[in-house]
Amino acid sequence: MRKFLGPIVLNVFAWTTILAVAFPLFWMLVTSVKPQSELFRRPPTMMPEVWTFEHYWHLLTQTNFLVYFRNSVMLSTVTTLLVVTVATLGAYSLVRFRYRGRESLAFMVLFTYLLPSVVLIIPLYLMLVSLGLSNTLFSLVIAYTTFALPYALWLMRSFMAGVPDDLEYAAMVDGASRMGAFVDVILPQLLPGIISTALFTFILSWNEYLYALVLVNSDDARPLTTGVMNMLISSFNIEWSLLMAASVMMSVPLIIVFAFLQSYLTRGFGAGAVKG
Amino acid sequence: MTTLTQTPLERRYARLGLLLIAPTVLIFCAVIIYPLVSALYLSLFKVFTPTLESSWVGLANYRELLASGMFWSALVNTLVWTAGTLTLQIVLGIGMALVLHQNIWFRSLARSLILFPYFISTVVAVLVWKWVFNDLYGILNHLLMQAGITNMPVDYLGSMPNAMISVILVGAWKYFPFVVIAVLARLQTIPEPLYEAARIDGAGPIARFFDVTLPQLRDVLVVIIMLRAIWDFKEFDLIWLLTGGGPSSSTETLPIVVYRQAFALNQMGMAAAWAVSMMAILLVFMIVYIRKTRDKGAV
Amino acid sequence: MANVDFRTVVKSFGTFTALHGLDLSIKSGEFVALLGPSGCGKTTTLRMLAGLEFPTSGDIIIGDRRVNDLPPGERDIAMVFQSYALYPHMTVAENIAYPLKKRGVPKAERGPMVAKTAEMLHLTALLDRKPKQLSGGQQQRVALGRALIRDPKVFLLDEPLSNLDAKLRSQLRAELIELHRRLGRTMVYVTHDQLEAMTMADRIAIMEGGNLQQFAPPAEVYARPANRFVAGFIGTPGMTLMDGMLVQSGNGWAFETEGLRLRLPRLIDSAKPGAAAFGIRPEDVHLGSGDLTGEVVLTEATGHETIVTVAIAPGVRVIARIPGTPALRIGDRVPVTLDAARAHVFAAGPQGARLNHPSGTADADEAFNIATPLRVASKGVLS
Repeated sequence: MRKFLGPIVLNVFAWTTILAVAFPLFWMLVTSVKPQSELFRRPPTMMPEVWTFEHYWHLLTQTNFLVYFRNSVMLSTVTTLLVVTVATLGAYSLVRFRYRGRESLAFMVLFTYLLPSVVLIIPLYLMLVSLGLSNTLFSLVIAYTTFALPYALWLMRSFMAGVPDDLEYAAMVDGASRMGAFVDVILPQLLPGIISTALFTFILSWNEYLYALVLVNSDDARPLTTGVMNMLISSFNIEWSLLMAASVMMSVPLIIVFAFLQSYLTRGFGAGAVKG
Repeated sequence: MTTLTQTPLERRYARLGLLLIAPTVLIFCAVIIYPLVSALYLSLFKVFTPTLESSWVGLANYRELLASGMFWSALVNTLVWTAGTLTLQIVLGIGMALVLHQNIWFRSLARSLILFPYFISTVVAVLVWKWVFNDLYGILNHLLMQAGITNMPVDYLGSMPNAMISVILVGAWKYFPFVVIAVLARLQTIPEPLYEAARIDGAGPIARFFDVTLPQLRDVLVVIIMLRAIWDFKEFDLIWLLTGGGPSSSTETLPIVVYRQAFALNQMGMAAAWAVSMMAILLVFMIVYIRKTRDKGAV
Repeated sequence: MANVDFRTVVKSFGTFTALHGLDLSIKSGEFVALLGPSGCGKTTTLRMLAGLEFPTSGDIIIGDRRVNDLPPGERDIAMVFQSYALYPHMTVAENIAYPLKKRGVPKAERGPMVAKTAEMLHLTALLDRKPKQLSGGQQQRVALGRALIRDPKVFLLDEPLSNLDAKLRSQLRAELIELHRRLGRTMVYVTHDQLEAMTMADRIAIMEGGNLQQFAPPAEVYARPANRFVAGFIGTPGMTLMDGMLVQSGNGWAFETEGLRLRLPRLIDSAKPGAAAFGIRPEDVHLGSGDLTGEVVLTEATGHETIVTVAIAPGVRVIARIPGTPALRIGDRVPVTLDAARAHVFAAGPQGARLNHPSGTADADEAFNIATPLRVASKGVLS
């Protein structure tokens, strides 16, 4: 009896907790497809009685959502490309080369990885204003490198350390230069790590709020985070369905990553966060 | 390392290494080191944000800040928030990791569902929770009232201590998956013979947890706690978006004060002083964390 | 084909010195094994030759070129790594072709060369596989193939067989000997396994603590170990070594240890009385006759021979190698002869120098033949 009951009790308990954790996300989805009238019904309906996508339609046609979305895609893509490129070369240097100051550099990377954004934001704001870059996507790219680059370097460093030294040596003995060995042998081995790092950097940039809040106050350059928050603040009566639809749409890239590339996220966790 | 480069070949490699790290160093200097130094410098001035007019005041900003009760209350708020949410994250995280380590139904789906809150934008998390917390139409109040726990709608974010508790809970919800994944990864490397030996010695499930699992998790937990403590301490988005520091200033943590000083009260110099003071406190955590990881040979 | 010279090469890592002024001249076409326990400096030596480590001082010469400042790719060497270091994302064919590609051999020429190498190493059927899909032995062959496809001046092999099982190891050992004979190339082979060094090498460089201990053909290393370290390191089971005193006895010499006095012929002229070590190989210990009596302490039969440990005095044990399985039991008392003519005497200390001229020929095979079972040995040495 206990043999059968044990797993069932465990599963029921486990799934109750998991569903409780996931409930707000479920509620977000449900709210986004309910008609406005059903929203204020008491008691609330757990599943929509009428399914509607009018909020999504409204969001895409009547609001600046698509502009924000485009801005976020641009911003995150450019930041990711820049940061991953610089971090891959930097990590190769930090892990595989010997020169004076290398240790202190590695220490600095870790230090900046832990640095709070609010400390940098005031001088960065002043700097970008004086360069005439405020209210541009480019200013956000610059700001985002402050947290994305140390993070990416830290991850890449750990991935780089996982590529056996002998592979590089073998390529060099076989006639490759150091950069040749890097391109022919290390880079292919590093690819999963690069993908992981790119995903993390992209998500980090996609979700960033504080810099966007401070550095941009025109709709042309606003990314999704501040853009959607603005929709909450500026509307007279809060349209929760619309906001939930916006939240769902905003999470689309993430849902795609989760569906297809989740193993890379877990890998990044192992490399960056926990191993230190 | 005291190995100085000697042979021409070694020197050539070292030059290449420096070339490869150069972009990193340049970017670091421009967007991190320079701002960091200017923050220190700025904290010695009085700056009016809109006009950027400034005048030297020396350490007056710091004196004013330490003398005001606001600093200490913000520090207390920060510590309450950090300690509260961190504790919940760790407890929930370990618990959920232990559950997910078992052979439950649809384990990978369960893992995805648990992981999701960590990766969604704080903006999304806050919007969803604000809707859940909504006093009139929120599902939470409805459920509580239906269950008879309360007969009045609860104001989750607009009164104390509810606001602090809500912020802590949402923080725990958003960030505990980090602990789950980190602990889960470690759990999977604990050798099974340890458990078998404990079982043979007559240890029950609870004894096995405390005698085998917990000691094995110790190292990774120390690292997780340090890292999460640093990140929670400097959290801005979640609290700012949920309560804006309110009601009045009862959830106003240090990062929020920095932001308000700079961009609402237009006192850039003062804000820099706040930021530097906050850094000083964080530095303690950071040094401990860096020491810990260095011990493990990570640096 | 080229000779390889190390001229007073020193290698330090910070405060630790891995190599204290190595002088080593490898002849063109020679197969040299660098042999020693881990941490002896053999791998560092090989990696410096490859250009993967940089000497602190001294010169490394391949052919007539000083290669210290040349990157590995310009040294005209090929190397087989202990980990094989196969490129995981390339197929077997691409792995083998990589050195050609890097040296600008046109694609059209690469194909036939890869095919030829693959055939030689029985890899033809595996050319489209990735390294992960291969067994350890097959991976080893691919690593060899990648080294063999070019015609480099020197082949470097870093413990290439250590990750294989015993049977495969002996098979590949034979193949490597055959390869060397056919190609006639200079080969430098790092190993900690004396069997590999003894069976394959023309000369063995035995290293310990960053110093070269002896550099000589296998038979000589076995028959005339230059010092106590080499004597103890080479041979399985090892030479019985005992510490004692060297004393003058009449106009000759004797070795004294607890309750035992052995007369020694043929000491070198510079020998002085004092602390010393006496060594005798198991095949030079004969049971069944002699002036000494010993008690059998342990017998280990392997089928074709039996290793017998005999206590000949309180605290003094010697090991004897007897062909076949003699009817000996633990506790039996047997007469023992130590073949003094074939004994070894070393100065005190772990690396004490050799103090006697051995009589045995340099031919190790003969040493085996002399030791017949329970032979009546007439040369008792107990004084």
